[in-house]
Amino acid sequence: MKNQLKIRFIFLALIGLFLSSAGFQDLYAQTKVKKNKVRLKVNYFKIMDHEVYFKIQAGARVGSDNVNVSNIDLAVINEVDGEEFELGTATTNMKGESKFVLENFNLLKPDSSNFYNVTVSFKGNDAFTKASKSISFKDAAIKAELITKDSVNYIKATLIDKSIDSVMDNMSLTVQAQRLFKPLYIGDEFNVTDENGMIVVPIEEGIPGIDGNLNLEVVLMDSDDFGTVKAILVAPVGTPIVDESTFDQRKMWSSRNKTPIFLLIFPNLIILAMWGLIIYLTTNLFKISKS
Amino acid sequence: MKNYDTIVNDLAPKKFGKRGTIWTTFLLIIIIAGFVAYIDQLRKGLEVTNLRDYALWGIYISNFVFFVATSFVGSVTVAILRLTNNTWRTPLVRIAEIISLACIIMAGLTIIIDMGRPDRMLNLFIHARLQSPITWDVIIVPTYVALSFLLLYFPLLPDLAILKKYFEKSKPKLSKWYGILSLNWTGSVAQKAIQSKSIKIIAIMIIPVGILLQTIDAWLFSTTYRVGWDSTNMGAYFISGAFVAGVGALVTLMYIIRKVRKLEDYITEFHFDKLGKYLALACLTYLYFNVNEYLIPIFTAPVQEDIHLNTLISGEYAPLFWFAQIVGLILPIILLLFKSGRKPLSMFIIGMMVVVGSWWKRYIIVTPTLLHPFLPIEGVPESWHHYFPSMHEWLITASNLATALLIITLMVRFIPVVPIQRTADEGEETLKTNNKVES
Repeated sequence: MKNQLKIRFIFLALIGLFLSSAGFQDLYAQTKVKKNKVRLKVNYFKIMDHEVYFKIQAGARVGSDNVNVSNIDLAVINEVDGEEFELGTATTNMKGESKFVLENFNLLKPDSSNFYNVTVSFKGNDAFTKASKSISFKDAAIKAELITKDSVNYIKATLIDKSIDSVMDNMSLTVQAQRLFKPLYIGDEFNVTDENGMIVVPIEEGIPGIDGNLNLEVVLMDSDDFGTVKAILVAPVGTPIVDESTFDQRKMWSSRNKTPIFLLIFPNLIILAMWGLIIYLTTNLFKISKS
Repeated sequence: MKNYDTIVNDLAPKKFGKRGTIWTTFLLIIIIAGFVAYIDQLRKGLEVTNLRDYALWGIYISNFVFFVATSFVGSVTVAILRLTNNTWRTPLVRIAEIISLACIIMAGLTIIIDMGRPDRMLNLFIHARLQSPITWDVIIVPTYVALSFLLLYFPLLPDLAILKKYFEKSKPKLSKWYGILSLNWTGSVAQKAIQSKSIKIIAIMIIPVGILLQTIDAWLFSTTYRVGWDSTNMGAYFISGAFVAGVGALVTLMYIIRKVRKLEDYITEFHFDKLGKYLALACLTYLYFNVNEYLIPIFTAPVQEDIHLNTLISGEYAPLFWFAQIVGLILPIILLLFKSGRKPLSMFIIGMMVVVGSWWKRYIIVTPTLLHPFLPIEGVPESWHHYFPSMHEWLITASNLATALLIITLMVRFIPVVPIQRTADEGEETLKTNNKVES
């Protein structure tokens, strides 16, 4: 009887605990959570004859930490003389990054001073307040070509301001070859355009490339007025990479089904000999038992 | 000269006394504590250890290498003494074989513990690559277990038959078990011929297999291109180290068994003196390889190796390094040069020094190298730069050592630690020789 009373008491106590905690949950839900401010960073990129895109980064300061803000919806808007045209929406990934590709550059309208004004805005949600970031840029183009003079290969590039359709002098361009980890600079790090808006940079010999092809880039890097503009040129002026892979060969570092033949034969012979003798010795135990 | 009955009476296994029971209980407590820690490790994963991306081999692998080294002595030393017909081996061979079997069994279990996921054990066989030293290890350890067992069992058959008879009236149940295990041994000519032939095969076979075991253990390290391991010296270095660890363990255990079982008439000062000289030779050989392993790189080491050596000689691991070198190697050599250093009690103390030194030596071989990779350690928590075993690791390792000691204890309890038949035969032969000389 005493035990039954105890069980009832414990049961009631548990029910009480459950109900009280459920009540507290309501209280928590009513508490106002302080929202954090999202910081947006927007960069404009133009890859000649390929694509135009905006690289967006969303971050926030939560407590004493800078965190990436993932999975938020952003609106990309073109502002023209007070009017707004939505170009589309983007969502940030786990790193807080988003790449908004502009399908057609002609969708963008410039203002009266030939600047394109683009705003990226975030409406806000339960955790973050609304935010926006605007950038302005003019359209530029790079024309790059490969020339050969006295058996030396050069990359010749011209930088053009498309808004006034004129070449740009005294601007810094970078020439580089695409590599796996980071680009390889060709010539000086910065090459200043002449009065014809042009640079001519020699390409040194012996740079390895698949089938001898080098993916050369001429880049106007992160300009205040023009953003980042890049021209890519495939130039057959590199040294072909000879594939020295041993992937399909029987080597010590190959996979199980490509074990070297000698390693299949000798260790297996040793194993067979050792275990053969062990089996023989075990049968000797039976022989002793029977004799 | 003792007669046959006295020899059987002296050497037949005895029931545990009070000390034996306390010792076994103590071992069981440690084993249970380790088992609980292991269950927790199974539930939560290797997270409960302090093994991380860099120090991915820690105390478990050090312990494995120690077990493998210690197991070498029983089989190989005994085999050499058998093949060279050294008669003084008789009272110590069985103890050596027991150590060997217990240690190699525990070496195999330690590897499974280190895997974290024992349910994936079968993958080692299903997906084995013959190019991998891990596969070689997976093959050689069970082979050595089988051979060590056979080396212990074949010479044991006559003794089991004697024990069957000895316990027939006083303990019939135990006698029945000895009867089953003795495989109907009658000592017939045919049985003796098969036994003798089998022992000879095992004695010849176990030497290359033992050397293979130690070498593969060494190659686990030297085929991994890391500072401190990238050495052509490694195989021979491990074999010489195994002799030291093994003989140290043998001497220690011999002293304890001799004292507990009151076997002073069988395991004499002469045997300790002989083993003392053997241990001194093993230590000197190992010292020579240590000089090769550490002194030459001091002259020629590139930057990474130099950092590693400095950590050992004057850095974080210096106390352990010098403890292993001085207490585990140099002091024993000096003490063993004196006759008084080869007396039973001195040998017991030296044996303990050597065993403890050998254990820490394995720790020094495994851990510091892992904390000195060729690419700098970056972008990881500060604690990952260092390694010291967690409580789980200590408990599990202590439990492994205790299990090895429990196996040895149980074998000492149930099988004759000094071969009865052989001791009696040798006594008879001595008597015959003396009679011939007198006549």
